[in-house]
Amino acid sequence: MSTPLPVSGHAKDAAPAFVLGRLRDWSREKSLWPVMFGLACCAIEMMATSAGKYDIARFGSELFRPSPRQADLMIVSGRVAQKMAPVLREIYDQMPDPKWVIAMGDCAACGGVFNNYAVVQGVDKIVPVDVYVPGCPPRPEALLDSIIKLQERVGKGQRGA
Amino acid sequence: MTGGLDGLKAAFPTAEAGMSADGIPYLRLATADLSEAAGRLRNELGYGRFIDLTAVDDPDRVDRFELLYLLYSMAERAWLRLRVRTDETVASVTPLFRAANWCEREVYDLFGVRFEGHPELTRIMLPDDWEGHPLRRDAPVGGEPVDFTVTRDVYGTGPSAPPGPERSG
Amino acid sequence: MAIQSERRGSTLHINMGPQHPSTHGVLRLELELDGETVVSCKPVIGYLHTGIEKTFEVKTYLHGVTLTDRMDYLNPLGNNLAYALSIEKLFECEIPERAVVGRVLLAELTRINSHLVWVGTTGLDLGASSVFLYAFREREALLDLFEWMSGARMMTSFIRPGGLAEDFEPEWLAAVDHFLDVLPSRVDDYEALLTNNPLFKERTVGIGVLKAEDAIEMGVSGPILRASGVAHDLRKTNPYCGYERYPFDAIVGQNGDCYDRYRVRIAELRESIKLCKQALSFLPPGPVKTADRKIVPPPREELGRSMEALIHHFKIYTEGIRPPAGEAYVPVESPRGELGFYVVSDGSGRPVRVHERAPSFANLQAISLVAQGGLVADLIAIISSIDPIMGEVDR
Repeated sequence: MSTPLPVSGHAKDAAPAFVLGRLRDWSREKSLWPVMFGLACCAIEMMATSAGKYDIARFGSELFRPSPRQADLMIVSGRVAQKMAPVLREIYDQMPDPKWVIAMGDCAACGGVFNNYAVVQGVDKIVPVDVYVPGCPPRPEALLDSIIKLQERVGKGQRGA
Repeated sequence: MTGGLDGLKAAFPTAEAGMSADGIPYLRLATADLSEAAGRLRNELGYGRFIDLTAVDDPDRVDRFELLYLLYSMAERAWLRLRVRTDETVASVTPLFRAANWCEREVYDLFGVRFEGHPELTRIMLPDDWEGHPLRRDAPVGGEPVDFTVTRDVYGTGPSAPPGPERSG
Repeated sequence: MAIQSERRGSTLHINMGPQHPSTHGVLRLELELDGETVVSCKPVIGYLHTGIEKTFEVKTYLHGVTLTDRMDYLNPLGNNLAYALSIEKLFECEIPERAVVGRVLLAELTRINSHLVWVGTTGLDLGASSVFLYAFREREALLDLFEWMSGARMMTSFIRPGGLAEDFEPEWLAAVDHFLDVLPSRVDDYEALLTNNPLFKERTVGIGVLKAEDAIEMGVSGPILRASGVAHDLRKTNPYCGYERYPFDAIVGQNGDCYDRYRVRIAELRESIKLCKQALSFLPPGPVKTADRKIVPPPREELGRSMEALIHHFKIYTEGIRPPAGEAYVPVESPRGELGFYVVSDGSGRPVRVHERAPSFANLQAISLVAQGGLVADLIAIISSIDPIMGEVDR
């Protein structure tokens, strides 16, 4: 909540835009809709995050959208194979702006234990990543933490990386 | 068929038969005999269930690829392994065992062994435009050298990371 | 409901996946449709090809355990078990009784875990979302137990060549016992939601029939094979880990449709609870690691006293264990079917080849048979009833 007040001479013009901007950022922050896109082991923990005990709905992100057109957050949950990389990029390109990416797990972040020919060594080679979540797989709390961290940025009006 | 290894020896007198450490009998066949032996095992001896096919590569050997077919007999409740050595091509058993289809494609993809008579011998695991066969012993593992910015000056692999804001947990 | 195509003979080719809400990961299906009817269904796999079998070749045998966890990520302990059994077969070592019974306990707990996820996601796919929430509630309780036991929720790597990583705590065993006491009533809850639910039955009864002879020929195994009426369970037919001593039933279906696959898995959940209870009662005192120092390093307390023990410990963790040259394949019954690791050793510290016989790989191959002639909407039920884990299909 540290967006500087616009200091122009026309405060009465700027005020509605400022309020609307804050409102827009606040609504984006509280309703990050992830695209329903599971890759590997981490997808199971992502499902656990959306189930009762961890309840991602508390943070407004329970609505996993099967269509990338309706989503503004991509959680890359698992290892990205070379064959999958173009598909992943295509899904990312279909998401409307502004959009954010969470690299969930070691494989998505850096290749993890699979330092070999088949796995893209970090999904940041193909899409810009905003938050990296370590763990193999990360606990649901870690994923929730990454979403909260992202929300803080979104609330400040920051665009995706 | 009864008698396990002895029965197999009797049924295939020309093939070399033996037993692996895991207690599964094997038959070592010449490449040319594979289809005929597989057909007999399937139709006459009850080994109608195709379990698995894989290969082991030894680049120093003349016939570098050893193919290992694993069959199962529902009546005998026993596995049987067929071993065939080849350099490049071998007859496909997919016309006999439908289940072999994907297994042969996998071995083709990862080892580069060609199966003659396979209905659709294309890559299965890797993208179609991939070059090389990664599971060959002389193929590199690939990936990236592990190069952490924080350790670069320790190992002399480049400048270390510039001092930045402290990382948050 | 089905829209008849106006021009007979003209078919529509569409692509389903790899990103599709119901393909359970990154499965892609190339479909040929005539109206709503599936003319042909061709799975395209490899979108999760991880090169695990190549990675095995540069890891020691002990490092390999962690890779097995990540193949079938709903059955990590079962994968550990199959891998450990193959390596132990090469060593021909004796595993202490407590470890053998403990392995059965862990394998069955993992089967419960896997089937719980299956029930939950199948409910989700077929529009019964509440089952998902219930099943994951119990799964969380189970994952808490795994975490207590090993420190990790999913990738426990607890079954290792030579035995178990550590001994069980008595309090942990009591907690497992309590969990098993509660679970049957929870399974009743799932059944109350699904078994006689007309909407669920409408979408599963008579859908996706796989005939027994086809299933056998295609190498299909596990609950799918048994749902087709074939009483083939490796725990019964080719027992390992002393399964012959546990009285339990191999569950068999009749029709081989999606509903029977559901019934078989639910019944297996109950059988697994029974097996876990038996394993808890059988669990003898004693060590959980083999005394064979070729596989298991000397215990910590010896390191302070004996230089040889220290060197031995160091060698095992730097150079790895060295199984005698040979090959071994010891299959186990995973929640998805016949799972085994074909391990080839040349006597060095790293394997020449490790190949996983993945049950999902063979099961998924049969989907073209199962889906043919059905409706495209039923494909969702079929995929979900086959329960493919792409991590193990693609490896």
